[in-house]
Amino acid sequence: MKLNLPLVRLLVVKDWQLFQKQLALYVLAGIVALCFLGLARPWAFYVGSLMLLIVLVAAACFSISTSLVVERKEQTLSFVMSLPVSPLDFTISKLAGNLLTFAVPFAVLLGGTLATVLLTPLPDGLFVYALLIFAYILFAFSISLSVAMSVESEGWATFAMIGSMVLINPYIMALAQIPDIDQRTRVDEIAWTTPAAAILIALSLASLAVLGATTWYHARKPAFH
Amino acid sequence: MTSERSQERLHYMDHLRALAMLAGVLFHAALAHSPLMSSYFPTADRQSSPWVDAVVWGSHLARMPLFFLIAGFFAAWLIERRGQGGLFRQRVRRIALPLLVAWPLVNWALTESTVWAARSVENPSAVLRLVRYFIELPDPPSAPITLSHLWFLHYLLVFTVLHWVFRTLGFGRVGELLLRGSAARVLWLLPLLLVPALASVSAPHPAPESPLPQFWAIAFYGAFFALGALVHGEPDWLTRARGCAPWLALGCCALYAIFLWRLRAEPPGEARPTASWTVAALEALLSVWLTVLCLLAGESLLRRPNALLQYLARSSYWVYLLHLPLLFALQYLMMDLELAWPLKLTLASAGTLALCLLSYQLLVARTPLRRFVG
Repeated sequence: MKLNLPLVRLLVVKDWQLFQKQLALYVLAGIVALCFLGLARPWAFYVGSLMLLIVLVAAACFSISTSLVVERKEQTLSFVMSLPVSPLDFTISKLAGNLLTFAVPFAVLLGGTLATVLLTPLPDGLFVYALLIFAYILFAFSISLSVAMSVESEGWATFAMIGSMVLINPYIMALAQIPDIDQRTRVDEIAWTTPAAAILIALSLASLAVLGATTWYHARKPAFH
Repeated sequence: MTSERSQERLHYMDHLRALAMLAGVLFHAALAHSPLMSSYFPTADRQSSPWVDAVVWGSHLARMPLFFLIAGFFAAWLIERRGQGGLFRQRVRRIALPLLVAWPLVNWALTESTVWAARSVENPSAVLRLVRYFIELPDPPSAPITLSHLWFLHYLLVFTVLHWVFRTLGFGRVGELLLRGSAARVLWLLPLLLVPALASVSAPHPAPESPLPQFWAIAFYGAFFALGALVHGEPDWLTRARGCAPWLALGCCALYAIFLWRLRAEPPGEARPTASWTVAALEALLSVWLTVLCLLAGESLLRRPNALLQYLARSSYWVYLLHLPLLFALQYLMMDLELAWPLKLTLASAGTLALCLLSYQLLVARTPLRRFVG
């Protein structure tokens, strides 16, 4: 089956235009969070890193809930079905639109966080730790997006979003239990240990696998339902 | 007629931007002879003069604010012509890439020349003595990572993102409403907004060289960037502000005298890490009023195309990127010479400008590099 690229592009642009106000707010909040980190004081580090997490989780949940769950509720799909769009076009546009709206704040905040770690008196060991946190958020986003695209139920989609994001707490606690990861966060050098590298690779591959499987599954669908 | 007026606006803005960047070369050269900076500037010479302080801090209060105001103006102009995507692409090509390439090179050159000077100069500055002490330690600490004079590129990128954020959220309408009223309203309100930012840092305000965005710098320089973007949409504001020009000039003279007196009474140092509210208010008023005066002067005097100014405008970006390592090298070389400070200042400034312009002519003017830094 061939992709209708101009139409996919239009659908992605439509999503981008619908969500850019909220995205702008997230980017603004992200810059404020980075400014807090830049103050290089303990309280500011706490406020800044907490703000960063909130912004990332909110950005991940927002794009999925607005572009998939709310659209489904408002029956936008019926309108889309009236366009010359195949299920594959629709799937790709939703995937690309969500990845784009999530990727903008994600990339800005990831870059900003890594720069903060490397360029301030914070121990450089936090570099790997920050990557592990961001990798988890990417994984949780992939799961949430995949579930929201695959199920018709708003309840299950919301459950997947909240559940995967809330699990970041036990994940952070679990990281703290691994001496090879926890102890390196206080050292002023970037140290790749086997557990850290394994978790990072596993989460990245799992994210790709989830997104790939979702695309493959939807691409094979002959109809929208 | 409208198109001719629009071209005139572009000419004087472009010329002003070039002059602001070139003034930066003179400013950095003069700091070597500023009594106020003698403990903080690496190239601080044995010879200093209070006259240097009397001149440079006035230019310091208006130079970069003027530059950011013009940057905001051109950002709005680019969006009007090429859209937001066009602005982002232009920023990546002309700001992000040059920053990524120039930053390590400038840092390397500054570090190497400073270490050389710390080891070799017989009459070192206070900073060089400190560097000498550190490099003689068995395990010397690494120098803090800063953007040096390239910080303005970093802030231009931040302001490009914030410009998109504020346009998307519709915040520009508030500014447009403010500019539509009396010009005096902005001339009083803007300094009032800047006072907290300037009160949170030392006076004269430092360069925000940290690679992370600083609240005060975003508020201070961002306000001028926003004013520039708004002035693009409301060109009549400048015509209305012209009526206030004599009062602004008188006010600046009086306030600057008070500012210099307060600076002498409250010199920056460890005991005074932040400016007093009085000094911050003086800085805020002076920076806004001087910047607007420069803009009005530019509109009157620089609106016609001028071959020399156009050449300087084309080369100013490259000159500014390159000037500090060259200037520091020349000033380190002259540190032990028994010359009068005005002569040293002239030699250092003229030598730096000559080398920068020569390198522009050889490396940029007729090569693909001009698409990035020309």
